[in-house]
Amino acid sequence: MADYTIAVAHLYGDLMNTYGDYGNIIALTYYAKQIGVDVDYQLVSLGDDFDADQYDFVLFGGGQDYEETIVAHDLQDKATEVKQYIENDGPLLAVCGGFQLLGHYMMMADGTKVDGIGVMDHYTTNMHDPKLTVRNNERLTGNIVIKNNETGEEYHGFENHQGRTFLGESERALGTIVSGNGNNGMDQTEGVIYRNVYGSYFHGPIFTRNGNLAKRVLTTALTRKYPSIDWQSKLNAIPTETF
Amino acid sequence: MTLKNSLAKATAKSAYWLLHDVLHRGGTSLPGKLAVAIDPDILKSIQQDFDLVIVTGTNGKTLTTALITRVLEAGGHQVITNPSGSNMIQGITGTLVTSRVTSNNGKKPIAVLEVDEANVEKVSSAIKPRMFVLTNIFRDQMDRYGEIYTTYDKIVAGIRNAPQAVVLSNGDSPIFTRGDFPNERLYFGFNHVSPEDYQPSKAPTNTDGILSPTDDSVLHYDFITYANLGKYFSVTDQFARPNLRYQVTAVTKLTPKYSEFSIDNTPLRIEIGGLYNIYNALAAFAVGREFEVPANAIKAAFESNAQIFGRQEAINVDGKDVTIVLIKNPVGTNSVIDMMLTENDDFSLLALLNANYADGIDTSWIWDAEFEKLHASHLQAIATGGERYRDMQVRLKMAGFADQSVYEDLTKVVDAIKSLPTQKVYIAATYTAMLQLREQLRSAGYIKGGF
Ligand SMILES: [Zn+2]
Repeated sequence: MADYTIAVAHLYGDLMNTYGDYGNIIALTYYAKQIGVDVDYQLVSLGDDFDADQYDFVLFGGGQDYEETIVAHDLQDKATEVKQYIENDGPLLAVCGGFQLLGHYMMMADGTKVDGIGVMDHYTTNMHDPKLTVRNNERLTGNIVIKNNETGEEYHGFENHQGRTFLGESERALGTIVSGNGNNGMDQTEGVIYRNVYGSYFHGPIFTRNGNLAKRVLTTALTRKYPSIDWQSKLNAIPTETF
Repeated sequence: MTLKNSLAKATAKSAYWLLHDVLHRGGTSLPGKLAVAIDPDILKSIQQDFDLVIVTGTNGKTLTTALITRVLEAGGHQVITNPSGSNMIQGITGTLVTSRVTSNNGKKPIAVLEVDEANVEKVSSAIKPRMFVLTNIFRDQMDRYGEIYTTYDKIVAGIRNAPQAVVLSNGDSPIFTRGDFPNERLYFGFNHVSPEDYQPSKAPTNTDGILSPTDDSVLHYDFITYANLGKYFSVTDQFARPNLRYQVTAVTKLTPKYSEFSIDNTPLRIEIGGLYNIYNALAAFAVGREFEVPANAIKAAFESNAQIFGRQEAINVDGKDVTIVLIKNPVGTNSVIDMMLTENDDFSLLALLNANYADGIDTSWIWDAEFEKLHASHLQAIATGGERYRDMQVRLKMAGFADQSVYEDLTKVVDAIKSLPTQKVYIAATYTAMLQLREQLRSAGYIKGGF
């Protein structure tokens, strides 16, 4: 039994789990274990309560359109607590559909509009939107590299999405496109950073190929829970998988 | 048959003869194209010649089709079937127009066709099937745009073309209880666990298609066989797995090379490992019984046709017993892992990952496969390789297998096999990695011929 534990909520892990999203938890656990931290994994799904004070990290992955519609409906019941978690600087990784549903709304490929919970200021349109000037009517699929200009870190991954996301005023991109398409193929942004929320279209999954980001988020989660310990030094002392 | 039909059929037959008997190419798509070009209604015109069974679903179609064919033949039926890979409309037309159909002992010939999910509607609009066999629907390769409910809707559109046809489905797959059509619906599945051994639990997180068709709540299971298959029920209403017409009543022995089990209390054996192959056998058993093939004839058909199971290739490399298995998605890879758990001897694993188009260009699926389970096996050593060796190396490292030999270059792969510490070696490879591996083994003289 390790001395330290972080509680991880996997939001709708049984419905929003495409493209290896769970790998993010495998990676986080891999690094945590090496510095003596246990990960307590909990699935939070349809009809379950999400208690903002109970978790140190939240993963919200992507899903198929059908499941996403059902999740979007249920998420409205958790919106207040999710918002509180985010505004209290809780660390959260949202991938693809999860990223979209934290914003105002998303358009599915067939034109159905699905309301997000609007706790963040982006919105998502679909690949058929006439205002798209780049690769309209096509999915954005392929390898992608981005650079975060604040930290200088580069992230590598694979993107596969039809939705096109446009960030709001209060949001920064996770990175600028080095190669690939990103949020919408038009404005050179990929993903989002808002407080301690990281959103992305990266499947890869992002933490497995980008140990620098996994460690950054783990540091945030641990420092928030155990502020007197120098977690960054502990994590710096173990190898980082980045490729 | 009209003159135009006859002409179309004759043209197709001569094209088939030219390709098959003169050029020794197994092509069935060209004759189909020729026939359709001459007479687009060719399929309609020949449908009175036979009964049609359509086999569809995302996994297991080919083996299920082959098994049904053997089972029906064992029951004295003449059977027409399409070669694996010819499961689109052109290949199917080619198969049908070039087959010589004669009735046998007054029994109508049966066409057993593997049909790609997206082609079911086309085929059933031309020929009314007598039966649809639905194997399963799993998420396919991850970089393709395909959702399981969309795939199923395509199949249902095909079923609606033939309301008289029986729909025989895998009852352990919740998705097959969905869909609105008037057909008679029969189910096969597993019932090998006695109620006192049920371990009710919520659907596993890392799968899909686990929503109840009644209210979209997450299903629970009394037991799971693999992935999302098992005896499911809803906790919010009365919905549960439908009654099974045909069921696996016991699983007696699982090994990597064969399985022993009972269906409706008939003991059976198939010469291939993997629980998923028992589902294929179960589907074939069910079709056989629906066509009144006696259970003991089905048993004999399984046992006397061992060669049709030959999809896992065993190769001898300087005394090492090497088995090559193809991996391409999480469900298939988990089945391979489950198979390795039934290996009683010490073994080594060489995992080869490429990400070319034929492999799937997105490697993220490796994170959905449960390599962690291998800790419970007799696995002694791990090696990784392929063009995306780094992804596989990190996947296995994070699964707790830190000690790996890594081969960035497949030209060293034969040496890699030889240096593994065990006599038994499993190689799990994606499609193009397997081709490269075979080329290395061929040039080193361990396998003959091309591919
Ligand atoms: Zn996605």
